[in-house]
Amino acid sequence: MAQQSSSKRRMELDAPERFMLVVDHELCKKCKKCVNECSFRALEFVDGGVKPVGGCVACGRCINVCPAHCLEIRQVPSQFPAHANFNERVRRAIMSQASTGGVLLTSCGTDIGYPVMFDEMLLDAAQVTNPAIDPLREVVETTTFVGGRKGRLEVKENGRLYMEEDPAPMIAMDMPIMIGHISLGSVSYNAQKALFTAARQLNILAGSGEGGLHKDFHPFAPNVVSEIASGRFGVTGDYLKRTAAVEIKIGQGAKPGHGGHLPGEKVSALISQTRMIPLGTDALSPYPHHDIYSIEDLQQLLSVVKESTEYKVPVGVKIAAVHNIGAIASGIVRAGADFITIDGFRGGTGSTPRIIRDHVGLPIEVAISVVDQRLTKEGLRNRVTVFAGGSIRSSADMIKAIALGADAVMVCTAAMVAMGCRVCQQCHRGVCSWGIATQREELVSRLDPDVAATRVVRLFRSWNEELKEILGAMGIDSVESLVGNRDRLRYFGPNSKIAEIMGVKHVGEGWG
Amino acid sequence: MLARRSARPSTGLYDLGADDDIGLPVPERYGAVRPPGLNYQMGGCGIAGCINLDGGRISGDVIARMLETMGERENGLGAGYACYGLFPEHRDEYCMQFFFDQEEAKVKVEELLNSMGGISKEERVYTHRVKTMRPPFPLVWRYFFRPKQKLEWRGRTDLSNDDFMVQLAMHVNSDVEGALCVSSGKDMAVFKGNGFSYEISKFYDLGRYSGKMWTSHSRFPTNSPAWWGGAHPLSILDWSVCHNGEVTSYGVNRKFVEMAGYRCSVLTDTEVVAYTWDLLVRKHRLPITAAAFVMAPWYHEDILRLDPESARLATWLRLTYKEALLNGPFSIIVGRREPEVTMIALADRKKLRPLLCGRSLDGKSAYVASEECAVRIVEPGAETWTPNAGSPMIAQVGKGILRTGNEHPFVGGV
Repeated sequence: MAQQSSSKRRMELDAPERFMLVVDHELCKKCKKCVNECSFRALEFVDGGVKPVGGCVACGRCINVCPAHCLEIRQVPSQFPAHANFNERVRRAIMSQASTGGVLLTSCGTDIGYPVMFDEMLLDAAQVTNPAIDPLREVVETTTFVGGRKGRLEVKENGRLYMEEDPAPMIAMDMPIMIGHISLGSVSYNAQKALFTAARQLNILAGSGEGGLHKDFHPFAPNVVSEIASGRFGVTGDYLKRTAAVEIKIGQGAKPGHGGHLPGEKVSALISQTRMIPLGTDALSPYPHHDIYSIEDLQQLLSVVKESTEYKVPVGVKIAAVHNIGAIASGIVRAGADFITIDGFRGGTGSTPRIIRDHVGLPIEVAISVVDQRLTKEGLRNRVTVFAGGSIRSSADMIKAIALGADAVMVCTAAMVAMGCRVCQQCHRGVCSWGIATQREELVSRLDPDVAATRVVRLFRSWNEELKEILGAMGIDSVESLVGNRDRLRYFGPNSKIAEIMGVKHVGEGWG
Repeated sequence: MLARRSARPSTGLYDLGADDDIGLPVPERYGAVRPPGLNYQMGGCGIAGCINLDGGRISGDVIARMLETMGERENGLGAGYACYGLFPEHRDEYCMQFFFDQEEAKVKVEELLNSMGGISKEERVYTHRVKTMRPPFPLVWRYFFRPKQKLEWRGRTDLSNDDFMVQLAMHVNSDVEGALCVSSGKDMAVFKGNGFSYEISKFYDLGRYSGKMWTSHSRFPTNSPAWWGGAHPLSILDWSVCHNGEVTSYGVNRKFVEMAGYRCSVLTDTEVVAYTWDLLVRKHRLPITAAAFVMAPWYHEDILRLDPESARLATWLRLTYKEALLNGPFSIIVGRREPEVTMIALADRKKLRPLLCGRSLDGKSAYVASEECAVRIVEPGAETWTPNAGSPMIAQVGKGILRTGNEHPFVGGV
């Protein structure tokens, strides 16, 4: 039976290995560092040499620690007879399910090569009729505000202009980037510490993810968005009041219609304390919030959260991008959300059923523009801050997401890659060799929070500089003038219908 | 000495004389109907304005000379003038001026006006054939109109007269084929068309009008067709906007006014600027300085240097109205009649387009223009200055120059 076969003794009917470690035994110093570092146990030291024993996921840890540079990971050429329809990916899934009989779990965003509309759009630049702006010589602003707006301001005159009181709670970020909700549990203590440290240094927000805020991280609270997810893990009044903003998580792009899933392997003592759940149990959040079965229920929860935080912090809602996203977003704004986070189907996760990750939802590019157009049409767009996430891979994606209609982007995977992640899609196994998506102390200690934080800071600072370069080239000196400015985008892909839906003109179409 | 425009040396394609003489294809020209496929127009321009601060009258010849002097700033694809305080005998009625491409459009508009209120006087706006101008020549008509006492617009009975007039003008512009409402304010009118500034001033015989204030605009469009409707000033109610520049945030600014119910029909950034002024000042009751700050705000880093109260207000103005920030280069002259004839001149916050103000030696007149020559030609001894980037110059009949644009903005009040 499949359960009885150890990972070392492959069953005859299992799928063949995907990766193979090749060792140059002449160069090898036999220090065994690679063997010790391989948390997937894909290497053994046998007969005086390093031997791959199967199970390599190409996390790349061994290569980076090898002092002799004698290792190479090879992608094993397909061992399957060619078939374009029953391709290797399909056959591997079948074999895997035949071996285990379960719902296949995976992590990170989908690896299927769906079209990426970000890669099918070009940006505009200023020529002759308006001057481009050099961000090194002139001011180009990227300050981004997060919170609800009233749509109008009461200004009074009394010898000078004044206003009575602040209309709503508002947070200023130095750049239109938020580090997404990556929970303590899905990632390690050191990883979350690094992300929070980076957020503080960058003066941006970072999501806490589901599961509360560890007491050590309370000093980071002014940069943290707390999350109320369907499991309500770690949610206390203190948690909500302490943080800069509160987000009610309805859905996540990687698993729309599905609850959070933290495998028991990752529920260590630390996690059990923060989440307030028993050690070693799977933390499975319900699919819906069991007090939100409709929009009016959401409105009530928004009111409850606003009351309990005394209207001092913005309260928002995160939803996965699904087909009717425009109407859903409109309902959420009308229900009183100060911000909406839309998560596209390519978004990442620490654990999700593969079937949902790969086949459910809406690409974020389309979701952003549909929501922006819908909210504009209903006169609501200037009441709410819109975050968009779900595979923002680069500053180019960020800039295009903003031009399509997002106020700011939510980024997770790119921050993880900056910290060492190789996107090997094994987070759910809890043995991340880089110390990120794991709770094992010997692995967690591999991640230096200060080094990791610095790398995230460098990454987002460089993105922000690139944003300024593009804004300046467009003759725009403040990022808010790019939000939803689809006039400055052109579609350059095979499907003009999608351009029409996104409200983006085709390349070659001018302004007049 | 530059008054004889037609003798000016040629520099551009459109100055080469009659285009068919040199074998160029004759581009399509449009009157009231929007050119097909047009979805945005832009260009460089010249702007000029003058106001009599005592409420005396200025002849149309004055503004024509100011504008025509800046011949380098136009290429014959549109010019226009707005005059305020020119119909004292009809000062309480909305003066609606239209372009009509066909008689049917005129009939439709008249039916509409008669069903919604009363026309106390209607007349053909005097136009004078100018040899160098080319057809089409839309019919230009003027109605002095007063809405019904008990107004109903598409089931709504809560609209003020001004709101109703906005709806009416936008309805005509969007839905009545062949008709375009050029201006609709009380005691003001817009005279514009497709041609050089000197042609348009002759076409309307501007010398026959005199008013308390004039604003004007000549176009150097870079990529848009010759269209009478697209010429400046763009006007809604008593607002008129003459605009030199290219707003790089048009898509965002347009959303801002559309969310408030304005329908964009001319599809220029200038139209959106006019609606923005109406929305911010008339509907949201922002003081003019606050509205100007919204359109050309301080940088956040500079706001932080203000006193805490001013910084708080400035920040909230910016973020509440962030979609109204006019990005990119612009200088604008804005005219308004309520509560008193007012001229506002504003340049973008980086001052990427020229703007110069002037005051006559007797202090009775104020001027605004793209270039100093425009002021000097009518008032050689005028005192002139350039307002700061993003700082409005405001002049009002009866009150004088309220703001020169050189004040430290924001702090210390209005």
